[in-house]
Amino acid sequence: MRQILWQREVRADCWRYPGEAGDGPLVQTLSELLADANRPPGAGTGVWLGPIDEVALLVPQLPQLALIVVNFEASGDGRGYSQGQLLRQRLGYQRELRAAGAIRRDHLFLLARCGFDAFDFAPGEDPRAALAGLDSYSVGYQPASGTLVQPRMRTPG
Amino acid sequence: MYKYDEIDRRFVNERVAEFRDQTRRFLAGELTEDEFRPLRLRNGLYIQTHAPMLRVAIPYGLLNTRQLRMLAHIARRYDRGYGHFSTRQNIQYNWPKLAEVPDILAELATVEMHAIQTSGNCIRNVTSDHLAGVAADELEDPRPWCELIRQWSTLHPEFNYLPRKFKIAVTGAPNDRAATAVHDIGLQLVRGADGGLGFEVLVGGGLGRMPIIGKRIRAWLPQQELLAYLEAILRVYNRYGRRDNIHRARIKVLVKSLGMEEFTRQVEAEYAANRALAPRVGAAAIARLRASFAPHPYQQLDEPDPTAGAAASFIAWYRHNTRAHKVRGYRVVFVSLKRHGEAPGDMTAAQMDALATLADLHSFGEVRVTHDQNLVLADVAQRDLRALHAALVPLGLATPNIGTLTDMICCPGLDFCSLANAGSIGIAKQIHAQFDDLDYLYDLGEIQVKMSGCMNACGHHHVGHIGILGVDKHGEEWYQITLGGSATGEVALGEVIGPSVPKLDVAATLERIVGVYLEQRDGEAETFLQVVRRIGIAPFKERAYAADTVAA
Ligand code: SF4
Repeated sequence: MRQILWQREVRADCWRYPGEAGDGPLVQTLSELLADANRPPGAGTGVWLGPIDEVALLVPQLPQLALIVVNFEASGDGRGYSQGQLLRQRLGYQRELRAAGAIRRDHLFLLARCGFDAFDFAPGEDPRAALAGLDSYSVGYQPASGTLVQPRMRTPG
Repeated sequence: MYKYDEIDRRFVNERVAEFRDQTRRFLAGELTEDEFRPLRLRNGLYIQTHAPMLRVAIPYGLLNTRQLRMLAHIARRYDRGYGHFSTRQNIQYNWPKLAEVPDILAELATVEMHAIQTSGNCIRNVTSDHLAGVAADELEDPRPWCELIRQWSTLHPEFNYLPRKFKIAVTGAPNDRAATAVHDIGLQLVRGADGGLGFEVLVGGGLGRMPIIGKRIRAWLPQQELLAYLEAILRVYNRYGRRDNIHRARIKVLVKSLGMEEFTRQVEAEYAANRALAPRVGAAAIARLRASFAPHPYQQLDEPDPTAGAAASFIAWYRHNTRAHKVRGYRVVFVSLKRHGEAPGDMTAAQMDALATLADLHSFGEVRVTHDQNLVLADVAQRDLRALHAALVPLGLATPNIGTLTDMICCPGLDFCSLANAGSIGIAKQIHAQFDDLDYLYDLGEIQVKMSGCMNACGHHHVGHIGILGVDKHGEEWYQITLGGSATGEVALGEVIGPSVPKLDVAATLERIVGVYLEQRDGEAETFLQVVRRIGIAPFKERAYAADTVAA
C-alpha cells in the first residue's frame, strides 16, 4: 500500500488513483467528475488534477470533495503551485490537498506554503526522512496559504 | 544601503544549510544529476566547460566595501584570484569546486549576500539604474522598490518553478539606464495625474533568440499596488506559459500568442479577482525601505574646475570616466574594467581590495556594478578626484575609455561557456588592439559595442550600436554584425548587415564601418547611432564587405 505524508504523519493511503485496481474509494479524473453535471457527486469524492486542469471548474463540486490530488508531472513544472494557491485562497477548499508525482523533500516547504497538506513522493524518496523538508525555513517574505508550516513573516504591509 | 534584519539573516543561513544538505546528497548519490540541477541552479551554480561556475547576486548592482572585500576573498580562497562582473550586475566565478560551494555561500551570508535565484526558471536578481539616487533626472530612487521586489521574489512560494527565467528591471528616471524595455517586466517610475508617483509597466521584452521590445500593459499603477500587479502577471504566466519547448517558454511568447489585448485582459482579470488577497505595499514598509537608501551625508562643497592645471591624462579621464552628480561639488566616477589585454568585466582580488579601500576613503564605502560591466564610485567629492585618479592608474582601473568603442560588453563566450558558438574575449582583445589610439577613439565619440558568444545574447548584442554575435559555421567561429541597436533612450534592436565575417576580420570590419560614420557625420556632435538612424545600414553594409576577405 502506498505510504504518504499526511499533515506531518506517515500513513498508508486507502484511495485508488485513476487506473488503479483495488477496493479503496476511487479518485476520479476531472473529466469523469464533470461528465455528469446533473448528478452531484457523493460526499467523500476525490478528484485528480493534471497541470492543465482548470481549478475553477471544480466550484460546484467543491463542498463534496474530500481529496484533491494535484499531479506534478515533472519536478520543474510549477503549475500545481498556482492550482494549490487558487484552491485554498480563492475557492476556499479546506480538506486534503495532496501533491503527487515528481515530489521530493526539496519541494515540501513551498508546496506547504501553497496550501498542500499531503504528499505522495516520487519513487526513492522516504516519506519519513522527507518530513524534514517541511522545516527547511522558519521565515518567509510572502503571505501565502497553508497551515502546515507557519514561517515568521515579513510581509510588505 | 539596505541592511539585513533578523528575518533576512535567518533566511540566508537556512538557505545555506539547505543547499549544504542537497550537495551532500548529490555527492552521496542520493540525488541524480537531473534532480540536483534545478536545486543547484537556484543557488547560482552552473556546470560549465572547465568547472562549475558560480553566479553571486549583487541586488540591483549595489555593494558595500565589506561585501567587495568578501568577493575578493572568495576569488582568492576558492577561485583563481579573479571574478567576472556580468551584464546583469552580478559577479561570476569560473573555477570553484562543487564541494566547496556551500562554504562559499556560508561566507557570503556573513556579509548579507547570496546566490539565490541567479539562474534557473525563476525570478532572477532584479536590476536597476547604476546611477540610482545620484542622477539629476531621477523622479524617485528606484532602489527601495528593487529591494521590495528582491524580498517578494525570494523563494516566492508560487513562482519558483516558472516556465522559464524571469527578469525584472526598475528605473526611476525617464532616461532609462536599466534597459527596462528588454526585460520580462520593466517598471518605470512615473508621475500620475494627481502628482503622485506610480509605475508604468512594460511586459514581454527580452533578447535571446527572439529579441523583442516590451509592450506597455499599464500606463499607471499606484505604488502600493506593485506587488499585487506583479503577482497577477506572474500567475497568468505560471499557469499558461508554454513548458513544452524551452525556446518558446518566455513570457514574450505567451504575450505574442495571446495577443497583447487578450494577455492584458487576463492579467487585469486576475488582478481584480485577487485584490482582496494580494499583498499591498504598506506606507510604513516602503518608508522603512526608503530610509535604507537615504542620501549620504554630503558636505557643502565648492565646484572648482578640476581640470585647471591638470595633466592631460587626468583631463582625459575626467572627461570620459566621470559624470555629473546631483549634489554640487560631487562627481560620479566610472571605474573601467575594459583595459586592453583583459577580458571585459574581469577584476582581480587585489583590484577589488584596493578599490574597497578607495571607496571607503572617497565614496561613502559603496560601489556599484553597471550593465556595461564597469564599476562606479557614485559619490566622490570633486576635490578628491585627482587623488583618486592617481590611485586608480597603477591599479589598471583608470583606462579613460568609458562610453567609447573599447568600452565593450562581452559575455564569457567559448572560453568558459558550454553553450557558446564562438569566442568573445579574443575578439575583444582584437578590437582593443585595432582601436588602441585614444584620440581616434575620442573622435569616434560614443559607440556601444556589445558582443555575445551565442544566440542566448548574454552580451546583449541586439541592443549594441554595433552588435557582434558569434556563430558556428562548420566548426569555425564566425561573427554576425548588427547596427543601430540601443538599450537606452529610444530602445531599438539592431539590424543584421549581412553575412557573418571570419574571426580574424572582425576588428577590421568595425574599422571600415566606423570609417563610413566619420565620412557621413554632420559634425562631431552627430553620434554614430544618430548617423545609422539617419542614413540606414546600406552604406555601412556596402563598405563592411569591401575588403579582400569577403565572407562566404
Ligand atoms: S551569450 Fe551564449 S556564449 Fe555568451 S555567456 Fe550567454 S550562453 Fe554563453
